[in-house]
Amino acid sequence: MLLAPAEKQWSLAFRLAWRMSLLMFGAIALAAAAIAWGSISTLRGLDDAALQQQVHIVAANLPAGDTPFSLPPAITLPFQNSDGDNFFIVYGPNRNLLATSDATQEEEAAIFVPRPFRQGFFRIPVLARHPHGMIGYALPAGRNWVIVLQGREQSSVLTASLMSSFFAGSVWFLMPIGFAAMLVSVLTLHRGLRPIMRVSATAATIGAQPGIRLPLTGLPREVTPLVEAVNEALTRLEQTIATQRRFMAEAAHGLRTPLAVLTARLDFLDPPHASALRQDADRMSRLVGQLLSMARLESLPLSVDSPVDLRAAAVEVITTLAPIAVQRGIDLALLGAGSPGPIQGNHDAIVLALTNLVENALNYAPHGSAVEIILETPARILVRDSGPGIPPQDIARLLQPFQRGATAAAGGAGLGLAIVSRIAAAHGGTIQAKNRPAGGCVFTLTFPSAAA
Amino acid sequence: MRLLVIEDEIELAALIRAALEQAGFAADHAGTALAAASHLGATSYDAAILDLGLPDSDGFLLLRQLRRQNTSLPVLILTARDSPEDRVTGLDSGADDYLIKPFHMPELIARIRALLRRPNAALGIRLTLGNLVLDTASRQTLIAGANAHLTLRETTMLELLLRDQGKVVAREKLENRLYSFDSELGSNALEVLIHRLRRRLQDSGANITIHTVRGVGYLMAESN
Repeated sequence: MLLAPAEKQWSLAFRLAWRMSLLMFGAIALAAAAIAWGSISTLRGLDDAALQQQVHIVAANLPAGDTPFSLPPAITLPFQNSDGDNFFIVYGPNRNLLATSDATQEEEAAIFVPRPFRQGFFRIPVLARHPHGMIGYALPAGRNWVIVLQGREQSSVLTASLMSSFFAGSVWFLMPIGFAAMLVSVLTLHRGLRPIMRVSATAATIGAQPGIRLPLTGLPREVTPLVEAVNEALTRLEQTIATQRRFMAEAAHGLRTPLAVLTARLDFLDPPHASALRQDADRMSRLVGQLLSMARLESLPLSVDSPVDLRAAAVEVITTLAPIAVQRGIDLALLGAGSPGPIQGNHDAIVLALTNLVENALNYAPHGSAVEIILETPARILVRDSGPGIPPQDIARLLQPFQRGATAAAGGAGLGLAIVSRIAAAHGGTIQAKNRPAGGCVFTLTFPSAAA
Repeated sequence: MRLLVIEDEIELAALIRAALEQAGFAADHAGTALAAASHLGATSYDAAILDLGLPDSDGFLLLRQLRRQNTSLPVLILTARDSPEDRVTGLDSGADDYLIKPFHMPELIARIRALLRRPNAALGIRLTLGNLVLDTASRQTLIAGANAHLTLRETTMLELLLRDQGKVVAREKLENRLYSFDSELGSNALEVLIHRLRRRLQDSGANITIHTVRGVGYLMAESN
């Protein structure tokens, strides 16, 4: 009933795990991006500071004058050893080249140096040896200008190397933490839902017995309103059923008491006058009994959860009806050597159904014929007679209330088979009527077997 | 034999009392649970007929109260309620029998007789059906006044069928009695014995018939 697994339904645990993993990957990506961005700008800042420092060193060591010159090896050597990554240029007042550590690249870079010179950073988009360009710094030194250029690594390369070190270092502990968080939340959910499973199990046991309520203990607060609402609905339902039960009892009493007085009075009359009246009173009694049975089946739940021995039920019915059968000269018999196993059901209701079927058969069976109850495994009862059979046009509406066949015996109300049909349905079983080739008909009451 | 009829429907109570008195019983009437309690306290009754729907109390309550006082008074419940719950409650609260209204007086009288007979069923009594009389003490069977000379086993089968005359007696019950004579019996021993009993009855001119209820048992009734 509650939380029944439907097709294509997502489980909460699956949803939570899915979203948690999305969140985890998002968080890791964000952290990686933040780290990359931060590291790159720090690196760049450091590079820029180094560049300015180099410019100042070169500027501090410039000789006076504006003719080309050479700088001491202590200054030039680190530039020359940088494998073309770093070089300096010194321009004279007329923008004439005074000195450089890398003549080849100077020639290439010269056109990109912004003129007039301005103190500060500038970029060179691309050089033969520096596909990602260079960054330069220009500093005036007296009337000359000192420029130092440094190759710039592409940020994607930097990022890639940063990421590889990030994944190598951090992911190894971030991932397990993420998985642990996911596991913990799924487990929490699972444990939190366990009381709901318990509630479902209780709900599944609710049958016709009143008084069962779904347990509220241990339930997560979010689910409590639902369970409370269900419990309140159960209370209202039980009140309705109790009212209905009281009404049925009152109706039975109200209808049967005057009939009882009538029957009792008739029993004091002399037989020749009374027998016809007695038959009428009996017919009315039967009708009242059937109406009450029918109304009860329609308005009250039938509890069908006790073990029922079908053979015992059949023996009970035959024991009750055998005197009538003997009186009418009909051979009432129980056939079927095997005994079907016990089924889940309601003994009294099955006895009532079978009584109706056998009474029906006794009403149609001619004197000297047989009415047989046949037990079949796993859980089937057949009632067979040799009466006139059922007119084909009546078979379809046979099980409807107040439908009486053209060949119906006097005294019936047309409720007997409708009652049988309701009882079969309440057991999850079926009732089937068929004419026999040899004459007469057979009613088959099939119950779901315990094994199924 | 004094009976108490506890029934709030005055007319029905009067009819039941009349029928009981016709059958040779003395009968008092109580219309409420309170009146019933005072009757039961004042007089010793042999059985009570109890209607469930009393104006001042539920018949079940009266019955439980009665059983708590540890009386073994046989009680037959007479009721209009026939729902399974009511039947179970009735038998659980200590009723000895249960009859649904409306009912036929002969049925009520027969059930009362059965209730009164129940505790001392073993005592010697004369069982009769049609022109047959069985004296359970002397084990003698008279048919139309003449001794039928039945064997011990035949007499035992006859007694079982006579005690439940007009009703089906389960073959298991009959077989169990047969086994008390001889534990090694053929599978059709019961059929053979019944067949012999039928012939004896027929030969002696008894107007009773033993009907076979195939698969269930036997039923003895007056021939029609």
